[in-house]
Amino acid sequence: MKPWFFVALFILAGAVITFAPLPVTAAAPARRTFRVEANQFAYAPAVLEVNPGDTVTIELVSTDVVHGMFLDGYGLSVTADPGQTTRMTFTANRSGSFRFRCNVTCGALHPFMVGKLQVGKNRWLWRAIGLTVLATLAILILPPNFPKAETG
Amino acid sequence: MKRTELLSRILVITGILIVLAAPIAARAIGAQGVIEVHGRIAESGGWTPSTIRVQAGMPIHLRLTSDDVMHGFAIGQSDTPAVDVLPGQVTEITLTFDKPGTYAYYCTRWCGPNHWRMRGIIEVTGEEPVSPQVTTPPLYLMLNLDIDAPHPASVTLDRIPDAQYGEQFSALLPAAYLTPDYYRSHSPAQIYLDLRADPALVSLAGSDIWDLVAYIWLSNTTPEGLAEGQRLFAQNCAACHGETGGGNGVFSANITALAGKTPANFSDPAITLGASPALLQGKILRGGMGTGMPSWGPLFTDQQTWDLVGFLYTFQFK
Repeated sequence: MKPWFFVALFILAGAVITFAPLPVTAAAPARRTFRVEANQFAYAPAVLEVNPGDTVTIELVSTDVVHGMFLDGYGLSVTADPGQTTRMTFTANRSGSFRFRCNVTCGALHPFMVGKLQVGKNRWLWRAIGLTVLATLAILILPPNFPKAETG
Repeated sequence: MKRTELLSRILVITGILIVLAAPIAARAIGAQGVIEVHGRIAESGGWTPSTIRVQAGMPIHLRLTSDDVMHGFAIGQSDTPAVDVLPGQVTEITLTFDKPGTYAYYCTRWCGPNHWRMRGIIEVTGEEPVSPQVTTPPLYLMLNLDIDAPHPASVTLDRIPDAQYGEQFSALLPAAYLTPDYYRSHSPAQIYLDLRADPALVSLAGSDIWDLVAYIWLSNTTPEGLAEGQRLFAQNCAACHGETGGGNGVFSANITALAGKTPANFSDPAITLGASPALLQGKILRGGMGTGMPSWGPLFTDQQTWDLVGFLYTFQFK
């Protein structure tokens, strides 16, 4: 009887980990402005973190040659010449992580000029870690010959 | 030989000749006026060909492409809008030059540290000999200005001179101060001294005189001219002189390292108020200064240089 109790417990815990709303409630939408410097062949900062619903303004400043920024998922793009800061403003209404990349051929390593926009926390990472820990516990706690032990 | 056989032989030979001659003729006719222009960053050679020769009045068809990064193409002193030149793509543009002469073409997109060196020449030859053009030399040469000499103005401003505010004293102002000739040949600091010494204006305080100086500047500009000056500044000057004219553009560190001088800081009253429009125009036209300042003479029209000069004073006046 005892192993079945554990199995039920693990299944319940697994369901909780997978579906429970995380205590980090969505922060109130805010206005965020990022100044992103583009220099061959990188963005600084290369990772932008925002909360879902934020109004995000990205100021693209090029410090060497003409660069661009195309934001995957949102389909937005801007081009910045040195001395001409350009801005793009959008509402981060799609959560997840999105790549942005240079869309102006700027030199030899242009294809590798990428950055990341992270909208919201990466919850599935934490849920996956929880499920992995749970599975490890299950292997350790349940008898090795389960479920045969129950019939025997 | 039968007559019919002779005829058929002639027919076959004519056919073969036509087939052979067609592509040669097509190339000779089709290639007329079509020029393929390749852009590369200045360090790897700039434009190929760097000199384009064309007849006046004959349309030329340019096929522009880039061998490395994004470039732009525009003709100096012309209204033809700039086009982008991208690697892997061909931008086609048709130009007709009516007047014989020498034109500059240049890159309009920052493609590398020596972007502004990427220039070429279009030589337009005409049927009639080029009439010796009666061009007036730029004002700084007529005035014998030494545009390399330092021109500090020892001025103290209580606040930003306001042209709108200065307008209320304009009734007192003798008309001679409002002429373009006077405005262009005197720095704001000189105008201030002239106005201060003028008996018609003794009743005014120092800050009111400065407002009048701003008024003289504004009456010699137009809103469209200032907007054009702002556009030219953002596109061509802001990378070194800064978007707000502070001499701190994104390349200023490179320039200071190479030349030992920072780009001119237009937000400094000592620099901007000590420079007359003629002096600023001279610097824009000639460039140099040992700082890598490009020469804009072949690229800007006379009006564009004055628009740009007028805009430079917006860093001091409002």
